Amino acid sequence: MAHEEHSDHVNYFYVFLLLCVFTAASVVADVVHIDSKLVVIVIVLAIATAKAMCVMMFFMHLKFEGNWKYVLLAPTVILAIGLPLALLPDVGVHYYPADPQYPANVMVVEPHESGGDSAEEAHNGH
Amino acid sequence: MGLNLPNGKLGVWLFLGTEIMFFTAFIGTYIVYRVNHPYDWPTDPEVTHIRIWAGGLNTFVLILSSYFVVVAHEAMHQHDFSKAMKFLQWTFALACLFLGIKAYEYYGKFSHDILPGHIAETNEQAIDKTLGELKDARSAWLTALVPDEGRDDAKMTALRDQGGDEATAFFALDARITNLSDKVKAELVTMEEVTTELEEMQANEQYGTHIASVHAPHPIPKGNLFASNYFIMTGFHAIHVIVGMIAFAFVIMQGSKLNADWSVYVENCGLYWHFVDLVWIFLFPLLYII
Repeated sequence: MAHEEHSDHVNYFYVFLLLCVFTAASVVADVVHIDSKLVVIVIVLAIATAKAMCVMMFFMHLKFEGNWKYVLLAPTVILAIGLPLALLPDVGVHYYPADPQYPANVMVVEPHESGGDSAEEAHNGH
Repeated sequence: MGLNLPNGKLGVWLFLGTEIMFFTAFIGTYIVYRVNHPYDWPTDPEVTHIRIWAGGLNTFVLILSSYFVVVAHEAMHQHDFSKAMKFLQWTFALACLFLGIKAYEYYGKFSHDILPGHIAETNEQAIDKTLGELKDARSAWLTALVPDEGRDDAKMTALRDQGGDEATAFFALDARITNLSDKVKAELVTMEEVTTELEEMQANEQYGTHIASVHAPHPIPKGNLFASNYFIMTGFHAIHVIVGMIAFAFVIMQGSKLNADWSVYVENCGLYWHFVDLVWIFLFPLLYII
């Protein structure tokens, strides 16, 4: 098959080494003290995505497959991304603190000058 | 006009499409919960008993096994069946190693009772849990001392009649537990006081060894949510590893009879195995680093 002819030229050992280097980089990102948690998250998820691309493109030979791969994988990827996005507004992000000792994720309602419970007032306002 | 790929391979890819959504449901749910609890999600390794070296090692094991599968598939393509068999056997061995490391990690969770529904999330729950463990340890000791009687009160009567040093030690422990239980009921004791009391009991020469396994109160906010997510993701992944091992076992059982007829099967098993690797590639940073 066509993809087998192309994949003959891939040096799988180099791909394997690259995956090992990526894994080591993820561990280093965790061990080295980085102040911003967000930076760590971005680094390790970017590395994971790069590793996933290596596995899919070379080990799973998607780089050498026909256009059917887009038709087959696009709907599942869209649905896979859609699920967390659909849950996020309702479950992942709340306007009022679930636990009173921690601030709300997206909006902290400052106490009104006249006093009283800020969350309650904000709720009444809606 | 059909697609230029074997039916079996198309079937595997369609199956993998459903698998992507299956795992994304769990991973997506986990991400949503993490976003929902940015401040109080348990991440301290001393609390979660998540070991990055174990996760990193397992990542390496799966990557190496994925590489071996590719080499085996290539060997099948080149009709070098003995080489293919060797690398498939190595893949199987690495899958066993992965499950062994996973079992070690699970053992850490089970031994510290980091299980969904078992974790105390408030001080009050933590005190109740410690008291419950103390009472269970007391009952276990009582049963060991008086195995033939029925209920605990009948056993205690029999033990009192029986007498002896062990009975004296048991009733000394029973008195302390009852006293602690009364204080907890009356809300007259703090978590720190329960910890001190437990340490004193465990240091006691008479009965300390019988309650050595009791955990000090240690609340973990959002611990049950963490444990549910952890076990459902890693558990289903482990099940997929086992399914992959069964699929590889069918080829390995062919032994010297392995031939070109198995090429497509090996390729399809390989695709499935790479997907299992792919899922772990995302689980590793999400569970062990972030």
